[in-house]
Amino acid sequence: MDEMTQVNRLRCEVPRPDPAELRAEESRLLAEIAAFSAASTPTARAAQTAPAVRGALRSGVLARNLRLSLRTSLAVGAGAALVVGLGFVGADSYLQRERTVQMAPVAVSAVLQRAADTVSLRDELRPRPGQFLVYELQVMFPVKLKEGGKDVRYLDRSRFKVWLPVEGSSLDGGVMTSEHLEPRPFPGEPLPAGAERREGGVGAPSKLTGYDIRPDHQRTDYVSLSRLPTDPEGMREHLYRGLGGDPLADYKAWGSVGSMITRAYMPSAQRAALFRAAGTIPGVETVDGAEDAAGRKGVAVAMVNRLGGVRHEYIFDPATYMYLGERVVAVDESRAGAPESTLLSSTAQLKVEVADRAPEVAAPTPTPGQ
Amino acid sequence: MSETSRARTGAGGTSPTDEVEADDASLIGRSLREPEAFAAIFHRHAPDIKRYVVRRLGADAGEDVVADTFLVAFRGRKGYDPSRPSARPWLYGIATNLIRRHKRVEVRQLRVLERTGVDPVTAPFTERSDERLSADAVRRRLAAALARLPAGHRDALLLVTWGGLTYPEAAQAMDVPVGTIRSRVNRARGKVREELGGIDPTSVSEETFHG
Repeated sequence: MDEMTQVNRLRCEVPRPDPAELRAEESRLLAEIAAFSAASTPTARAAQTAPAVRGALRSGVLARNLRLSLRTSLAVGAGAALVVGLGFVGADSYLQRERTVQMAPVAVSAVLQRAADTVSLRDELRPRPGQFLVYELQVMFPVKLKEGGKDVRYLDRSRFKVWLPVEGSSLDGGVMTSEHLEPRPFPGEPLPAGAERREGGVGAPSKLTGYDIRPDHQRTDYVSLSRLPTDPEGMREHLYRGLGGDPLADYKAWGSVGSMITRAYMPSAQRAALFRAAGTIPGVETVDGAEDAAGRKGVAVAMVNRLGGVRHEYIFDPATYMYLGERVVAVDESRAGAPESTLLSSTAQLKVEVADRAPEVAAPTPTPGQ
Repeated sequence: MSETSRARTGAGGTSPTDEVEADDASLIGRSLREPEAFAAIFHRHAPDIKRYVVRRLGADAGEDVVADTFLVAFRGRKGYDPSRPSARPWLYGIATNLIRRHKRVEVRQLRVLERTGVDPVTAPFTERSDERLSADAVRRRLAAALARLPAGHRDALLLVTWGGLTYPEAAQAMDVPVGTIRSRVNRARGKVREELGGIDPTSVSEETFHG
């Protein structure tokens, strides 16, 4: 018996699943298709496909998946995969149509207004095409393991350094290094043994890989962001571009704000316009006492995703209004699968600077051994 | 056709019959105008993709990876090369890239198998401890070999074995030249052979007596 046959036999007892066993996955795809159809075609089709979304939501399958999607959107990637376009797959599909909480817009504009006002006071980076913007990030998110047949969790912590080209796709020249930090217990639970067995140290630089399936107007490299409008109205239009009639438009617009400030850098004029425009998105609320993944305290602006049972926050320094990071917090235990106030994921943007080049990446040619 | 497939998928996805004639490329093309048509791609390929992913990561992470695979595929369908009638390599490629992000989970489970002889991945599917015992040593050494392979070599080997892809299909999936797949598989085979070298896979090994 040769080794290929042996490999083929390994785990061959895993069965080919029945359609019934693929229902959770199917629901997510159908919800995505329905959301897409609802956003892009006449109401007749939306009416036809909407029940699929509602059915999927009732089944409770999606809340868990939403968490995963949020996690993937934040994780610059265990295993060096940056799935750029995946960030809001899922997350944007299952959002609330009705927004019952309309927090005082005055408070909202106070935070974002100040963030906008202080933007121009800071030292501005002026990267040129051909250079790289270098981001240092600290990320924390829950990881689920099976131990002794039961589900256990812990908070995975990593630090990343990411070099993104000033012009063009991050998949085209982007490089990252990562360092695993000591894991933390999931609040209220012991630290599983599996959490300790992690590879440590700073990994070798690796190329960013994955998919970027965003339309051109959503590119977030510096050159693209530099071309955006510098007035709040124009910026608001940009945030909502292509979302006409989309029931999820507000949350998608909110998500775009994050992708333009985390692992992205824009000139001060656009940045100020972005913060002012963000303050006009319905459903935005202020959260005091937020803390980023590096433990820096701040004030956050946030939007609640009622269907996922989570709140997506952007955190600012309470004194300087500099952007610190983002985090996702459970607000509805039944939907988020975690008690209210549980931190589900958190990112701190520690540093942004300009570099002439990214580190060399070892050629991925197959070699014997490692 | 679209009406019936929509009705059926809405009802929860029984086995497709009227989706068989069209090849994947034309279904994907149609899904650009008619997104619902993409559900047929799911019905056609999800069972095989799921089995492949579960064999690599276990049922738990498998569900998320499979769901994400089809979401990424749906979102990226505009970029599908219409000259490729079968979407299999494309979907396996997306799934394999997503599996990479769970590399630690994959390797950890292989190491558990290597060390204990108990496979966290297959445990939910098997009751037959007697069969397990006889193949224990082989499985443990296979797990050791797979865990030690560079990720790209493991991907290539498992795409052509567990995934059942041909070398050209695996090359398409991974977006590398066929020669690269061939050399990765060969190197991976060599490692596995080396690891199994000490035992006669057809007999109960000494390891089961004191393992």
